[in-house]
Amino acid sequence: MTAIVKPHRVDEVKEALRDLGVNGLTTTDVEGFGRQRGHTEVYRGAEYQVDFVPKVKLEVLVPDDEAQGVVDAIVKAARTGKIGDGKLWVTEAEQVIRIRTGEMGPDAV
Amino acid sequence: MTEAASVADHVATLREELDALDRAYSSGHHGLWSAARRAEMLDTALISMSEAIEPPPGVGLAALGGYGRRQQLPLSDVDLLVVHDGSRPDEVADIIERLLYPLWDAGFEVGHAMRTPAECELIAHERLDALTSMLDLRRLAGDGELVRTAADRVLGVATADVRGFARALREDAETRGERYGVSAYLLEPDLKSGAGALRDVHAVRWMTAAAGPAVVRTAEREALDAAEEFFTRVRSALQLETRRRTDRLPLELQPAIARAMGFIDEPGLIAEDGLMRAMFEHARSTQWIAQNVLARAEAGVSMPTDPPVPFRDIDEALETLAAASEAGMRPEAQTLDSIEATPVPEPIEWTAGTLQSFMRMLRAGEAGVHALDAMDRLGLLVRLLPAWGAVRCRPQRDPYHRFTVDTHLTMALAEMSHLIRGDRSDDDLVAGAVERVTDRDGLLLGALLHDIGKIGEGGHVPIGAQVADRTLAHMGVTGSSRDLASFMVAEHLLLPDTATRRDLTDENLILDVAARIGSPERLAALTVLARADAIATGPSAWTAWRRTLLAELVGRVQRVYDRGDMGEELAHQLTTRIEAVRAALAREPDDAVERFVLRMPRGYFLSTEPDRIARHHPVIAPEVGSAEVRTAASPGEREGTYELLVVAADRPGLLSSIAGAVAVTGLSILTAQAFTTDDGVAVDVFEVEGVFEREVGEERWRELRGVLRKEIEGRLSLAHRVAEKRAQYPAPRSSAPVTVGVDNDDSDYATVIEVGAADRIGLLFDIASVLAELMLDVQLAKVATYADRVIDVFYVRDALGRKVTDPDQVAEIEAAIRARLDEPDRH
Repeated sequence: MTAIVKPHRVDEVKEALRDLGVNGLTTTDVEGFGRQRGHTEVYRGAEYQVDFVPKVKLEVLVPDDEAQGVVDAIVKAARTGKIGDGKLWVTEAEQVIRIRTGEMGPDAV
Repeated sequence: MTEAASVADHVATLREELDALDRAYSSGHHGLWSAARRAEMLDTALISMSEAIEPPPGVGLAALGGYGRRQQLPLSDVDLLVVHDGSRPDEVADIIERLLYPLWDAGFEVGHAMRTPAECELIAHERLDALTSMLDLRRLAGDGELVRTAADRVLGVATADVRGFARALREDAETRGERYGVSAYLLEPDLKSGAGALRDVHAVRWMTAAAGPAVVRTAEREALDAAEEFFTRVRSALQLETRRRTDRLPLELQPAIARAMGFIDEPGLIAEDGLMRAMFEHARSTQWIAQNVLARAEAGVSMPTDPPVPFRDIDEALETLAAASEAGMRPEAQTLDSIEATPVPEPIEWTAGTLQSFMRMLRAGEAGVHALDAMDRLGLLVRLLPAWGAVRCRPQRDPYHRFTVDTHLTMALAEMSHLIRGDRSDDDLVAGAVERVTDRDGLLLGALLHDIGKIGEGGHVPIGAQVADRTLAHMGVTGSSRDLASFMVAEHLLLPDTATRRDLTDENLILDVAARIGSPERLAALTVLARADAIATGPSAWTAWRRTLLAELVGRVQRVYDRGDMGEELAHQLTTRIEAVRAALAREPDDAVERFVLRMPRGYFLSTEPDRIARHHPVIAPEVGSAEVRTAASPGEREGTYELLVVAADRPGLLSSIAGAVAVTGLSILTAQAFTTDDGVAVDVFEVEGVFEREVGEERWRELRGVLRKEIEGRLSLAHRVAEKRAQYPAPRSSAPVTVGVDNDDSDYATVIEVGAADRIGLLFDIASVLAELMLDVQLAKVATYADRVIDVFYVRDALGRKVTDPDQVAEIEAAIRARLDEPDRH
């Protein structure tokens, strides 16, 4: 599953996932916009447009039967109730391979 | 025994002996001795093999490169040169095959060339690497005279133009530095080709072969010998651990190699850091000596005939370095030799002159950093700044840092001087910040010292603040420069950490940051330092992503100052207030008080006396149920007035409910302050008085609680009851006009609505119900009564927590409030 969240919620999400026993997580600093759009920043009288809002992208692989729990945990940890809390989407991974050992499928998750 | 069998026999013996040698010592103890022993084994085998093959006259076998120098590492290539007189090339090729095939078959990496002495000279002219590897030519077997001729002709190429040879070696060193990086500070250094690594040692050796030993001083020779032994051990260990011919020392192998070499964990320095620190020290002095030796040779300076003239004292030496920095030049080789000849006390006492020269270097940008580097290599920097010793050559183990602590500091200084000189005008955030700082020397000192606390133990920021204070005092820096630099060291992580890890829409957070920083100039100083620090860390530390977050934080804090919401005085007042609250709540558990301080809005602390806060605490602190409304009344400051505290889970319309209930109970609101905690609890503080009777007894408070409860349960219409109450009292005498203003510049977090009107029963209820109807959430409200006129200020946000910026919606708010207050039947 992939989630786009506010930077300051990443630690909470990480904690929540650890509590669930999910040990792997990939994060990337990203910029983008959704309904939040950008906003105008004023610094020392000079206005400039922030077109893309800084967010963090989280990617995590989990077995099917744990997916719902992980979704709930991420949503709960990332929510502030304000605009720009982000999105989460779940996709099916066709194949997963642990590169070091060559293990495949659920063993590799 | 046939020739082939005999040769194969020698190869097998060689392999056994080499393996035995590798096993004889731990992987960390194969230094130059081991390398020489390996070369000796190869010599014996090759000589025996050569005897079995019986080469014809006019053919000589020689060792080249590392093997030629008797520095054969566990997995080094075996580099051979067959020197021949050119009369029987086919026969020579056949000999080479008979000699080399068995070695190749046994898995040796053998490189070979076949040349006449004339060809040797020709290729030495053409290629520097061929020339230098043949400078290490050593006869193994066959025609000794021929090998000697070849070696002499190759050496002749180098000695014919010593200065040209020096230039070629210098250029090669520069190219290597660019390609393989600088081994003196990169955390994964290249042991062979990086700047300061083994190739630099060899370059000095080749230079000596061409120019004579006088080009290197004894102390330099000794330092290079020690470095060569060290690099050889590390490189051999790396090859033995990985079984690969690799020269880059990766982070993950450093612990194993450190332990194999006998490094152990020490206080403030774990084993692998000890290894890397030794590595950096050797590489740094190697690079430095190689540069100076080559520079001397290129300039034609000969040590014995041009002895260095010492400076009068250390201040004169520093002045010379400062002047060179200001001229944008690297210190000259002669200057450095003179400094080395100058007696230096330890530690150096700073004079006004010392400080002046030092600051001139700091202001001089890259050239100043070259001067600092020179002082570092000459051992001066540590004598000037004793604290520098703890960060010198110290590796850093985190995913962002690429350099040692001290190199990171001098790079941050260089970037800071670029910023001050306006070389980075593309970044308006930073360029604007530079303009706001008047004390540039403070900026430079702050950049130079910001990580001085990275000494391997404890939190580097608090330690750094102490060390920086001591260091600045030792240097004799005073006044604003000292204050600013100390502050920068103590707070250099505040902006980057807050920007990337905290919620920038949290007003408390922004106010706290503003209070902690204290002034726009200091905010600007931290902004500039954040950039200089990031640039000096590595390419991934200053990205558009980080810059955007930093700009947002800095902008929000700056606007707090611009509006006067926080300044030195208010910051002091806030800190004092919170301290007083902590003292008044000393009997409560620490973490509960901490939590209380964190969740209450800063405006609450600034507007409420500590003893009142202590009285509020038991009402506010316990968790509030979603339908719970807590009230507490106490006598007010003026006679006949009462303070009414109401605490409830915040929801749209809550303020209007409370205001309505107060009016229905026959109480008049003189002032009101409505706050919202960061976890969504409304804390409303009213100053009320009875409309008719002065005394308000417990019965009335009970009535108030009853009205509130009924309202929540939907058993009572406040609008109806307030109208009824209003009918019982005379209409207000004043006909002050209604004013409504909506402002979006006053706050970053909320739209500010200011309403002025004649006082009357239920005024706050009326306005607050309009706001509730428009789905606006009141974050903060202030009600003040001036004689018969009331000014109400509301900080509101929409249901998604945003300001109201849509002009239509703003107009609607204004119109709706006016309409409600102008309704004739409500007079």
